[in-house]
Amino acid sequence: MIGRIAGVLVTTVILGSAQAAWADITIGGILSITGPTAAQGVGYKNAFDLMPKEMAGQKVNYIVRDDGGDPAVAVSIARKMIDEDHVDAFIGPATNPTLAAVMPVAQEAHVPVVVMAPALFDVHKYTFAFDTAQPTTLMIKGVVDHMKAHGVKTVGFIGYSDGFGDQVLDGLKLGAAGSDITVVDDERFARTDTSVQPQVLKALTHKPDVMMLGGSATPGALPSLALAQRNYKGQVYNNHGVVSPAYIQVGGQAVEGVIAPTGPLVVYDQLPDSNPVKAVATDFMTRYIAAFGPQSRNAFAGYSYDAMLIIQAGVPTALKAGAPGTQAFRDALRDGMEHVSNLIGTHGIYNMTPDNHNGMDERARVMVQVVNQSWKLMP
Amino acid sequence: MRALALALAAVIAAALLLPAFYVTLMINVGLASLVGVGLVLLTGIGGQTSFGQAAFAGIGAYTTALLTLSFGWSPWLTLPVALALAGVAALLIGVVTMRLSGHYLALATIAWGTSAYVLMGTLPGLGGFNGLVDVPALPGLRGASRMMLVFVGVLVLAALVLVGNLLDSRQGRAIRALATGRLMAESMGVNTGLVSLGIFVIAALFAGLSGWLYAHVQGVVNPSPFNLGAGIEYLFMVIIGGAGSLAGAVFGAGVVLVLRDQLNDWLPRLLGQPGNFEGMVFAAAVILALQNMPQGLVPLLLRRRRLVETRIDVNAPALPSREGAGAALKVSGVTRRFGGLLANDAVSFTAQAGAITALIGPNGAGKSTMFNLIGGLLAPNSGEISLGGVRIDGLPSRRVARAGVARNFQHVRLLAERSVLENVALGAHRRGRAGMISAMLRLDRAEERALLAEASRQVARVGLSELLHSPAGDLALGQQRMVEIARALCLDPVLLLLDEPAAGLRLAEKQQLAGLLRSLRASGITVLLVEHDMDFVMGLADHVVVMEYGRVISAGSPSVVQADPKVMDAYLGGVVA
Amino acid sequence: MDVTIAELLLQDGLTTGAIYLLLAIGLLLVFLVTRVIFIPQGDFVAYGALTLASMLAGHVPATLWLLDVCAVASALLQWRSWRGVSWALGPALLITLATLVAVRLGAWVWLQGALAVGITALLAPMVYRLAFRPLRHASLLTLLVVAMAVHFVMVGLGLVLFGPETQRTPAFSNASFTWGEVDISGHSLWVAGCCVVLVAALWWMFHATMLGRALRASASNPMGARLMGIEGDRMAAIAFAMAGGIAALAGLLIAPITPIAYDSGFLIGLKGFIAAVIGGLASYPVAAVAALVVGVVEAFASFWNSAYAAAIVFALLIPALLWLSVRTRSIEEP
Repeated sequence: MIGRIAGVLVTTVILGSAQAAWADITIGGILSITGPTAAQGVGYKNAFDLMPKEMAGQKVNYIVRDDGGDPAVAVSIARKMIDEDHVDAFIGPATNPTLAAVMPVAQEAHVPVVVMAPALFDVHKYTFAFDTAQPTTLMIKGVVDHMKAHGVKTVGFIGYSDGFGDQVLDGLKLGAAGSDITVVDDERFARTDTSVQPQVLKALTHKPDVMMLGGSATPGALPSLALAQRNYKGQVYNNHGVVSPAYIQVGGQAVEGVIAPTGPLVVYDQLPDSNPVKAVATDFMTRYIAAFGPQSRNAFAGYSYDAMLIIQAGVPTALKAGAPGTQAFRDALRDGMEHVSNLIGTHGIYNMTPDNHNGMDERARVMVQVVNQSWKLMP
Repeated sequence: MRALALALAAVIAAALLLPAFYVTLMINVGLASLVGVGLVLLTGIGGQTSFGQAAFAGIGAYTTALLTLSFGWSPWLTLPVALALAGVAALLIGVVTMRLSGHYLALATIAWGTSAYVLMGTLPGLGGFNGLVDVPALPGLRGASRMMLVFVGVLVLAALVLVGNLLDSRQGRAIRALATGRLMAESMGVNTGLVSLGIFVIAALFAGLSGWLYAHVQGVVNPSPFNLGAGIEYLFMVIIGGAGSLAGAVFGAGVVLVLRDQLNDWLPRLLGQPGNFEGMVFAAAVILALQNMPQGLVPLLLRRRRLVETRIDVNAPALPSREGAGAALKVSGVTRRFGGLLANDAVSFTAQAGAITALIGPNGAGKSTMFNLIGGLLAPNSGEISLGGVRIDGLPSRRVARAGVARNFQHVRLLAERSVLENVALGAHRRGRAGMISAMLRLDRAEERALLAEASRQVARVGLSELLHSPAGDLALGQQRMVEIARALCLDPVLLLLDEPAAGLRLAEKQQLAGLLRSLRASGITVLLVEHDMDFVMGLADHVVVMEYGRVISAGSPSVVQADPKVMDAYLGGVVA
Repeated sequence: MDVTIAELLLQDGLTTGAIYLLLAIGLLLVFLVTRVIFIPQGDFVAYGALTLASMLAGHVPATLWLLDVCAVASALLQWRSWRGVSWALGPALLITLATLVAVRLGAWVWLQGALAVGITALLAPMVYRLAFRPLRHASLLTLLVVAMAVHFVMVGLGLVLFGPETQRTPAFSNASFTWGEVDISGHSLWVAGCCVVLVAALWWMFHATMLGRALRASASNPMGARLMGIEGDRMAAIAFAMAGGIAALAGLLIAPITPIAYDSGFLIGLKGFIAAVIGGLASYPVAAVAALVVGVVEAFASFWNSAYAAAIVFALLIPALLWLSVRTRSIEEP
């Protein structure tokens, strides 16, 4: 009987695996469109609709699949894309657990992978991995600098009880290290909590000068609502994960005055003309808004688009080395991506080197504040 | 043996021939199957449900990740620790719920699954919600390699064999009784709470093993694959595959994971938006499966398996049996109330050792209550019941059974799908000692041969030898009553409680039953029976106790009782049975 | 921790506790009448809140179409009986028309709120008819697994119908009162008020109306109730509708405090459910008190150590189960 089961399974699988390879450039997107980070996932995904259908005269196919936030599913998808779709590069994943699982697979198969969450990985070990997201430290440094400039001594933290919350807190602690700013409290909440009043009350017992929040997307507004109810007068900082119109819609007056770092993309229309990113960001976001409506404006879509731009920059070199779908093409693509310099993306300017596969600098960060219920660029 | 060799060949062939992606997929199928095998044992066969198996897998994964990364242990050494921790967690949850009916365990596992996720993400040293990375591969078995598939395949086969062995044993019969026959099994002396605790722990161990493997296959461990949702999906896999048979675990995992991969391609195109909609589709499939084919996919894919005809070794050594002859049952002043109703009012009588005593009376006289008081299903409000001078009132029914009281049931309680032999052998449960581990490792064979030989002897004694291997549900009612008597005899009883044993029997069968009871009496067993067939009672009993409205109104030899005017009144006034 | 903070935590805990209380009552109602452990109740919380949010944004809520599809499906399942068909289609048709008009006119918030509750409440008996009724003779555990599967389906549909974003609905009142040193928000008074009124209304219904007596009868003695001419099916559908409506109301009460997303409901529902289990899945009063305790413990646990709060709340089950174990004597037949 056991033999029969095995037989049936093997047959199913062999029948299912017969699929032809592509001759065009194929880019695989691995995103968490459902599951706990669904709200961000949609932004990452929408950007694929705006990507060029051709690169260097070569047709490009995009395959986007959802891992539901599960690393095992992400790995399974990655392997399938490698084996069956013969992808030339990956865009995503964009959450830390999933990208940590996918990177070794891509490395083993020698397929370039551009992840889209601030990830700390060893570029000499994962030579095929690139990252379009601003490092958390870079982002939170903006917040910490603002705190320092305003003589802040104590910060209370309320963040998600998940990897995202961990990251923001780490960034905050790293930024504050060596200064006289201390993080006096660490409180956690879940996206689905019915109340964060207790966490806010606890944080306020430490009488922090300011509050730093570590949530993302719309539930990231929860602590602000509770802080407003307690009439907290200190400055409230949030992180780049919340910068979207939907956040203000949910938070209303409670998030008025909140300061957050973000990529220039989100306030593309307020950037001074001198800002080098403005043209690319404006082009992308106007197209994005035309396609998905003004309320859909978010930072996440830009990371996907930038990932595409980095791959695109590597394609001409790669085409000289071999046809898409071959190992020679992918190796050369990686080399090309590693030598991208002064590439203007929607989120900043990328300068890759063998030691830095992110290549962003402070131009990739602006500070914004909620003023009169919309995000305003801070001078 | 042949099937096993064939399966092993299939696994090796799959590992060699499949494209790399499908090797990964099949490894995932194997990991899910390991969890599934435990769930089949627990849910499909044992009638318990757990939504928290993923959390046990999480314990396995985190244990090995932590020990290899932070303490530099070899992965092989972490396995026993991983299993021990998963087992202990299951033990604690199981103990809290073992006395409660099945849905409380299921509810507790929901709480466990949710809490474990929080703990995995929060406890210091576990890397928070981003988890631990760069978990070393097993020596010689790189991540998702072809060799790994062979290794996982061998482990799945081993799990199937172990659980298959367990089900084909003394403990296995007790496990099969959990779903529909807990009360009956308790009356046979089975500690059903302990048995269900046992299979819950075993299921957790398989999940822990799966998690341990997961950590070394993926190289990354974080809380999300071990959350409640994942635990529920394991259960769904098993239900879709078919929770009733071990094959269902592998089928379910295979079908769900392979289909999920395909659906992940097709559904987004259909719905016009990408997303993980497979979960929804599988949940809908589970609802439809439970509504329309509760056996899952297995019956569609495998032909219906006949019951295996277990070979009986007639030369097996006899089981140890009780010393000495029957003992007297003494009921004195027993009162039992149900709310305002006085079901037994200071009832006293004695059933002499080695004699047949009949308890008769009109419907509602309190006979069944008295039976349940003696059998330990109820406790008296006051009064004493003793067997051979030892008090048995208030004891749970399995302890009463251990004291040597065997019974049948007015409404026959048999496991309809199991063979007559297996049903009867359950009666001999207390006469064996082999535990679950020795059953899995086949160390129980000598005892098992003796148990089955004893069961087949008792089946022969009630004259049903030719039906030994038929499913008990296929038998006529009269034959089923005889099976219950055989099962009771397997207990090697001091006292045999028979509730309407002659109901539904044809005349010839009644004569045969009477003959059997006489021979039991001759062997010294005390018999107490409730019966409505007066001819049967009066021709057989040594002593008759008549009850009405919860009281004893007359007692004595059949002729004395028959002449008692109070008895005449009771029967003329009530419904003559 | 000073007194003010304790008072604030207590207020916060009692407010969420009151919402859990509503859910615990809904769970018990459904369980006692149908033996279904109504896991998807939390999803009805989210559906209720998101339906209102979508109406307030000027859209026809997607739940309305879902209701209509389910109504047609369940009408088809009982096409032989004219009464069955009209029961399935009639209310759905009425509320569809009413909602279309209300959304078109942008009618008063409270009317839209009532319609959101109505739509969600009507969806619940459809779920009963499609998922549970065919299994009404199945074991409790089978029903539990189906309930879990229904929850999965509802979450998946929720993502399709409402998208991934969280939504907030307006508070019932923006007023705020000061009592001693503690501010009491008008909304938490509304929550408490709704809770008291609903409990009183249910008590009255159970004890003073024919329907209530019929529900109680079919809970305590299904066979007897059937002999008395009480239709088990109709009682089950009514119990589901009531639980669905209660859940939707809970959704409208939570959404102003905490934005709700398609998947927020499950955990909220589970807390109501802990309360119901502490009540032995039998006692309304014990479950009600337990719900308030769960809310308060959650508030204090979140204050004391927010990272472990969720685990602490679920740990409340352990003593409850132990107590139930000690009380149980005989092995229960499943």
